[in-house]
Amino acid sequence: MSLGTQHDGHGGDVQEDVDAVATVADRVRDAIETVIEGKPDVLRITLTVLLAEGHLLIEDVPGVGKTMLAKALGRAVDCSVQRVQFTPDLLPSDITGVSIYHQDRGEFEFNPGPVFANIVLGDEINRASPKTQSALLECMAERQVSVDGETRALERPFMVVATQNPTDMEGTYALPEAQRDRFMARVSVGYPSPQAELDMIDSHGSRSPLEHLAPVTNAAEIRDLVERVQHVHVAPGMRRYVVDLVNSTRTAPELKLGASPRATLHLVRAARAHAALEGRHYVVPDDVQALAVPVLAHRLLPGPEAHMERLSPEQIVAKLVARLPVPGPR
Amino acid sequence: MPLAALVTMLASLSLLSGLVRGDTWWVPAAVLMTVVALVSAAYRSLVGGAFAVPFLQLFAVLLLYAPLFSPETTVLGFLPTLDTLDHTGALFVEGLHTVNTNTPAVSPTPGLIVIIAMVFMVFTMTADFLAVTARCPGMVGGLLLSLLAVPLFVDDAGVSWGPAAITAIGFLALLAVDMWVRSHEWGTRVSTRRGPGTPPDGVLGRVGLAAVSVVAVVLALLLPQALPSLRTDALYTLAEGGIVANDSVTTTHPMVSLRRDLGADSDRTVLTYRTDDEEPEYLRTFALDEFDGENWTMTPVHAGRDSGVDGTLPTPPGLAFAPDEDELVTTRISLDSDTPPMDFLPLPYPARSVEIAGDWYVDESSLMVFTTETPPSGYNFVVTSAENRPGARELDTAGPPRSLTDDRLHLPQDLDERVQELTGTLVEGADSDYESALALQEFFIGGDFTYDLSPPPVPEGTDPLTHFLFEDRIGYCEQYAGAMAVMARQAGIPARVAVGYTAGKPSGEDRWTVTASDAHAWPELYFEGSGWVRFEPTPADPDGGQGTASRPDYSSGVDELPDDVAPEPNTEDEPEADESPEEGPSTAPESSEAPDEESGAATDGWDETSAVSGGQGPPGWPAAFLVGLLVLSAAALPALIRALVRRARRSAVTAGGPAAAHTAWREVRDTCLDLGMDWDLTESPRSTAARLAAVGEKGLGQETEGALWRLALAEEAARYAPDPRPVQGLQGDLGTVVAALAGSVTSGRRWRAVLLPRSLAPWRRPRIEADPVPGLL
Repeated sequence: MSLGTQHDGHGGDVQEDVDAVATVADRVRDAIETVIEGKPDVLRITLTVLLAEGHLLIEDVPGVGKTMLAKALGRAVDCSVQRVQFTPDLLPSDITGVSIYHQDRGEFEFNPGPVFANIVLGDEINRASPKTQSALLECMAERQVSVDGETRALERPFMVVATQNPTDMEGTYALPEAQRDRFMARVSVGYPSPQAELDMIDSHGSRSPLEHLAPVTNAAEIRDLVERVQHVHVAPGMRRYVVDLVNSTRTAPELKLGASPRATLHLVRAARAHAALEGRHYVVPDDVQALAVPVLAHRLLPGPEAHMERLSPEQIVAKLVARLPVPGPR
Repeated sequence: MPLAALVTMLASLSLLSGLVRGDTWWVPAAVLMTVVALVSAAYRSLVGGAFAVPFLQLFAVLLLYAPLFSPETTVLGFLPTLDTLDHTGALFVEGLHTVNTNTPAVSPTPGLIVIIAMVFMVFTMTADFLAVTARCPGMVGGLLLSLLAVPLFVDDAGVSWGPAAITAIGFLALLAVDMWVRSHEWGTRVSTRRGPGTPPDGVLGRVGLAAVSVVAVVLALLLPQALPSLRTDALYTLAEGGIVANDSVTTTHPMVSLRRDLGADSDRTVLTYRTDDEEPEYLRTFALDEFDGENWTMTPVHAGRDSGVDGTLPTPPGLAFAPDEDELVTTRISLDSDTPPMDFLPLPYPARSVEIAGDWYVDESSLMVFTTETPPSGYNFVVTSAENRPGARELDTAGPPRSLTDDRLHLPQDLDERVQELTGTLVEGADSDYESALALQEFFIGGDFTYDLSPPPVPEGTDPLTHFLFEDRIGYCEQYAGAMAVMARQAGIPARVAVGYTAGKPSGEDRWTVTASDAHAWPELYFEGSGWVRFEPTPADPDGGQGTASRPDYSSGVDELPDDVAPEPNTEDEPEADESPEEGPSTAPESSEAPDEESGAATDGWDETSAVSGGQGPPGWPAAFLVGLLVLSAAALPALIRALVRRARRSAVTAGGPAAAHTAWREVRDTCLDLGMDWDLTESPRSTAARLAAVGEKGLGQETEGALWRLALAEEAARYAPDPRPVQGLQGDLGTVVAALAGSVTSGRRWRAVLLPRSLAPWRRPRIEADPVPGLL
């Protein structure tokens, strides 16, 4: 991937489109990196999901910068950001908003909830009750909110960045598989390297660098970029490759539950965005391979064999990728 | 360039113009050379590369060979058959015979033409390789030198100026074309640096260059003079065949030396000697005791510890009484220092002792004295010999040859019956072997024979012996001696041909001088009790014969007994240079093709063991050669196929087009497979490039890595992009990468990659792992 900005095909306008995508994405990446240091892979996935109009699930232990990442993203892109701290007593209406009756006017007025924003940060989503979780997840899938029989569309871009602690920690409700499926990708931030942590002491010691993070783009531009990403070419061989890969999760004996067709769509969309991030107007196997684990792993349910062999879903996906031949010459 | 090499080699054909008669002998050679060069040129320009060129050239020659040289043996007019093989063998034998038995200029027999054509074809291929493939056109000069040596060695006239100049011009043309091509190649690049070979600018530079050139030329001329080991006579030694190891002695054909001396018609002094004998014997150098149907040859002699000369020589075979010590004749022989070194001594027969420095050996049955070392060119020695001059009566009453151990009566089965009839007629009425011998000798002296040092060529297909006896009856001592020896054997008298010198002319008191024109050959006949006895069928007339020949008393009077006449052959000597055991056929030599002549001569005596050296040999050798060639070709087949595939791919890559990237990448893949590296179908081009870039201890280097990435990304775009754009420079990148990959492994693996390319084996190719995902693929 070291030659990410090289491109050899030519696509006329499409190539210009992806060049623009890459340029903007680089700006955003640089901006976020002033806050989150030493996590290029996480940033890349985050930007990919943003451009693919997906939702991101960040799963990690507390204090590694999950929230900071989401906030930084919101600041770098000059758009509305809402944050919801999920707690066990949070109600669905706390997310979607409620209609309040105005006696003087004699009508209901809708008070939009925090979900009406371009980037919604759902902190510790697995602490909320399943009912509340599903309210959010419905918004994620439909990109609209239905309250009192009225449907309100959400402004684009709409991206939910949910964080959750590992499910084996106390006081959490694990997301059901069906709901995990709606997240395009799941990443782990992980602990920073010792050097990054040292730097962090310096930069975060006195004041939050977040305050100095100036927006480098805006919602309108992101919408435009998302539109452009749709035109990235996926060769027939590559489509087949993605389908084969997703299919392999369904037939793998180690897995109780494979990836859904939605996973296929997500994977293709993410691959497009990934290619565009590198300034390429066509998808290559490396895009899919780089995204397979983040996009697929959280949707899978390991079977008893995997448990016995202590194989995580990530490892299983990596093995499947390593066994699948890449599409050859046309 | 291939065409320039062709022109050069064609020009060198003119070197043989003085050696071969006729106008058309060079045509087949020129045709083959042209074809070879055209194949090279066509392949190089159309396909590119050089690896397959020799194979294609050989193939083309194979196709052309049969129609050119033995059309009657072919199938469909061009397919060679087994008969072609036999015919080829026969042609070579004939050609070598021509080379060995004629003096220049020889008439172009088909065999000779084949040999010339083959030699020049091989030389042209070599020149093509040197000049084009190896880009060392200067080395073609070596080939031309060896060709130049042919006329130098076989023809006393040397090389005339014309052909030498033509050859030189051809060579210079080749060099000029090479320079032009090189400058053309470099000219397309803009370079501020001066390439090698560009003359320095400025007056000073030019003067310096000229000075260096002059110094180089002067040094080249002077240095050899300063080195004693490079005297010209050393070249002579080379030319005439030196000594071969294994105690077996080789030399050039004695008859070749004989012919050269006689042909030179010079008065160059070969040796002088002092003797108290008033009628000195001939000085004999060689005894040729085997007749193969055309040539008299010498049974190989061997130098062993037992056969060293330590003064006294073995007793001459066949003598009834040991020679009386008092009757020994002492001869002090001084070889002239201008004479080429002789490794066989010219001695009077029968010599009894020899005093000479160095390691010399004697052959017991023939009393030839020889050395295995290269003797100095001028030396002195003292020889004592018996006076073996039997009376006519002794000879007349000699019994059957009991004490002769070797079979000296053997003759080939396929001799012309007319010879036997003639012999029968001549000896009819003879009461003894002696009378038979006299009758035979008289037949030559008194008959209708004409002595001529340059007899007309023997028509092809004709046996030289029968031609001499029944057709033209023109010849010189070689023919006389050979024919009489054959007929003597037919008459039941053991016989052999001696080669050496006559006694020469007296040059003062006790002193005799032998010149090159005294070279001679004569028959020796065996009589029990008297041993080997010299006869003289050659006319002794200074105008129409060997002027210094003499007829022994016993053989001059047909009548009674000339008492104390001394018959017997004895002395002679020969100024020639070496000789040796092996060869032996008689007849003159020289032909146009030196390499062939030498190798041919060598094989004559050697047939079985030395077939490789190229000459005739039994017709089986071409078969062995072809089988070897086939085996080699089969072994080289994988490499050839792989090279052709690579060649085709490279040109496809050069041609560009959408598939160029695929082709280039496929070549990278196959190179990896050949070199034993992994190739994973689940790897994308990028991952593969990243992996390969780390191959070897230090990786491939930045430049190669860049080339590798360009190839990988081009392949990636060709595979996955909607509208892949042709990429320039893939050809160069491919070359860089392939070379770097090959350089990253051990030489053993490299060789295996060349000889047994794994990429050609379908079962060694990477395959999709069996059912990676059940039911999926």
